[in-house]
Amino acid sequence: MIAELGNVTLVIALVLSILLAIYPLWGAQTNNPTLMSLARPLAIGLFVFTLIAYIALTHSFIVDDFSLSYVAQNSNSKLPIYYKITAVWGGHEGSFLLWVLIFAIWTVAVALFSNGIPEKMLARVLSVLGMVSISFYLFMLITSNPFDSMLPFFPVDGRDLNPLLQDFGMIIHPPMLYMGYVGFSVAFAFAIAALIGGQLDSTWARWSRPWTIAAWAFLTLGLALGSWWAYYELGWGGWWFWDPVENAAFMPWLAGTALMHSLAVTEKRKVFKSWTVLLAIAAFSLSLLGTFLVRSGVLVSVHSFASDPARGLFILGLLVVVIGGSLLLYALRASQLKSVGRYDLFSREMMLMGNNVLLCAATVVVLLGTLFPLVHKEIGLGSISIGAPFFNQMFTLLVVPFVFFLGVGPLTRWKKQKPSALKHQLLLAFFLAFSAGVVVIFSYDEYSQLALLGITMSFWILVATVLEVRQRVASPLKDETTYQTLKKLTPSHWGMVFGHVGFAVCLIGITLVSNYEKEMDVRVKIGQTLQMADYDIKFIGVESIKGPNYTADRGIFDIYKHGILINHLEPEKRFYTVQQMPMTEAGIHTTLTRDLFIAMGEPLKGGDWAIQLYYKPFVVWIWGGAFIMSIGAAFSISDKRYRIKKIAQFTRRTKSKTTSAANLEPSVAKESTL
Amino acid sequence: MSRLTWFLIPLILFLLLTVFLYNGLFSDPSARESSLIENEFPAFSLPDLADEAITHTNDIFDGQMTFVNVWGVWCVTCAIELPYLTELSQKGYRFVGLYYDQDLDPDFGSKTINRVRAEVIETTRRFGNPFAFNIFDVYRDTSLDLGVTGAPETFLVDPAGVIRLHHLGDINERVWTGKFLPVIEAIQREYPVLSQLSTEHQLTGLKQ
Repeated sequence: MIAELGNVTLVIALVLSILLAIYPLWGAQTNNPTLMSLARPLAIGLFVFTLIAYIALTHSFIVDDFSLSYVAQNSNSKLPIYYKITAVWGGHEGSFLLWVLIFAIWTVAVALFSNGIPEKMLARVLSVLGMVSISFYLFMLITSNPFDSMLPFFPVDGRDLNPLLQDFGMIIHPPMLYMGYVGFSVAFAFAIAALIGGQLDSTWARWSRPWTIAAWAFLTLGLALGSWWAYYELGWGGWWFWDPVENAAFMPWLAGTALMHSLAVTEKRKVFKSWTVLLAIAAFSLSLLGTFLVRSGVLVSVHSFASDPARGLFILGLLVVVIGGSLLLYALRASQLKSVGRYDLFSREMMLMGNNVLLCAATVVVLLGTLFPLVHKEIGLGSISIGAPFFNQMFTLLVVPFVFFLGVGPLTRWKKQKPSALKHQLLLAFFLAFSAGVVVIFSYDEYSQLALLGITMSFWILVATVLEVRQRVASPLKDETTYQTLKKLTPSHWGMVFGHVGFAVCLIGITLVSNYEKEMDVRVKIGQTLQMADYDIKFIGVESIKGPNYTADRGIFDIYKHGILINHLEPEKRFYTVQQMPMTEAGIHTTLTRDLFIAMGEPLKGGDWAIQLYYKPFVVWIWGGAFIMSIGAAFSISDKRYRIKKIAQFTRRTKSKTTSAANLEPSVAKESTL
Repeated sequence: MSRLTWFLIPLILFLLLTVFLYNGLFSDPSARESSLIENEFPAFSLPDLADEAITHTNDIFDGQMTFVNVWGVWCVTCAIELPYLTELSQKGYRFVGLYYDQDLDPDFGSKTINRVRAEVIETTRRFGNPFAFNIFDVYRDTSLDLGVTGAPETFLVDPAGVIRLHHLGDINERVWTGKFLPVIEAIQREYPVLSQLSTEHQLTGLKQ
């Protein structure tokens, strides 16, 4: 009964999305305020009905309604309740419902928190979101309805959730990623609305900036959580595998990072206008492409859902309509734009252009690396695979100039920068960074050029960031203490600082763990002690345990440092009985400077075990860095100038015909010093 | 070029991409065209894993339908498919293991043959033993001839010693009914003696 209710509400949501796609846009084109005002209630309705459908599916999981084929395939009566709730997004159909729900959340958020935006623009934005959601609801209802019933014959018990997904990291990483993926739809909708309305000035950039930053923050967190989950759940000890699906999530992140920076230029300097629109389209298109890659089965990956050409064909059609349509609109409208801003060869604009070019190059590298095997096969050259070495090498090449721009960019002025004015600061930064690199490298046993490079780059960013803040503080107005000046820095400025520091922290983690990790694949006897780095790891024994839906061998290890017991680890080798699937549950001891990682391999003769031991220096810094970047994003969003009142003022100013570049110059000038 | 042409470039690139994605949809990524299908199983002469005094050659295929399963104890997926293969072998299907070990190379490896044997016995005791016998691919030459890229892989060989099907990855019920059964039925039509044989086996299997 509840399940049927879910089905009906999905159909209602589809109808609402069709109405949302048509009426407000029509109203905006014909200047009909009644039609335009329909946008908000329709968006709210869309959200409410999708939410009911989602709750209905969750309910079916909780009460073990195995008459639903989706529940039967992804749950089991013995599954703990919290996994029943998260199993809703454990498979293709349910995760798509979550995707659609999150899309509705973003839509309703735009509808509710955009008081300052003119009615016409808002109507167009919501209509564009409506158009995109039509295709999502159609896709779900036609090819992958989670409410498909197996009546009258249904199984007594379900096939259980994939054991890989029975884990805390799994509970949160997909919703976070979806928040990011889907969030780029807002920037996309703003860009398309601006294209439809023909108002490609800097206002749309200002309005979509907080939304883009929010989506980017979620995507950053989602990627970090996904990487963390892979690290401790897959038991391979790695934190990034260049798996096609990881790449599918990484591409929107790269494009989104470029978009975030490009939006800043467009908003403040009114240049890169058509380029920013293209990036907004690209970021969302790459999210959709990711969906296609994951859900159509064209690529092999740990993440792939059951492949079905019908689904793939539908998503491909959706891609052609959404992406193709927007790129066509872009070609027609953006080609008429003329850029007015002027800037010198050495200016912040050029630095940010460097950032954009390199991020786009990185996106293209990932795209090519992911799709090349497919293309290679289709043009009849046989199967090949492109692995981590290719990506690692390309990214090592790209990150060096990227970091250079990252350090110099914030120090330079908009429009024009005298190189001589920065010479001292840059030399100082380079000297400090290089010394830091040398010191860190010599604290390790081996010398490695890549490690020296990585650490130097990280400290280059850190030192340059400190210098930049100092530069702001060094020219205070009269009778102000340093603290007061610091307090006057805007939240979005702190956002930038945190974002860049987070990237440096991440880079330190990546550098040290890639160059100085230690790995052992050994056979251990009970009572034997192994040595790794400064640690003695003693294998106490193995006990058999029984979990709710699995049995496991639990290894018991004591870890000593210089003879003192510091920790006790219990990695498990689980066997999930319903799905007949073995799983490794690694034992990890984390500190700020290193991880010790033990994974049980296979049982051998005489009670011995094959185990894998890893010593991973600074690995948590990778995820810590991502977390710091997200905090930066939160700071940026909290900036007052995105708040309603300010936007309203700004809009009034734009509306009154006095909006000339000269008129805006004071505010631009003020911001550019920040 | 006019301005419009420049701005059309993203669209053109995108459309080009969709062509490949469209084609990609209709080719199974894990399936590769095996050049071996409808060819004779490559000639081999290899020792039995349990007893090196016994030598197996292509004669083993004579008059019987055989599933050659490439596996190893180090392969996780193999352990997963073993119980299902055992079920099938109890129904009368004949499985022969083509065993190869990653660490056991007579010249360079670190393992002894005795340890490998012990591990094989241990694994088959835990997960089931579908194999009539295991051929030991000492130098991995036969695996190379077969174009094996990993384990598990399964070759269906007909009574004339011709490879009829090459499957990469584990065999489960879906693969069995969708991919194997049609080929098995075709072979049984060509060699009517076989269908009788296998039904007999199935009956005895049921009785047990």
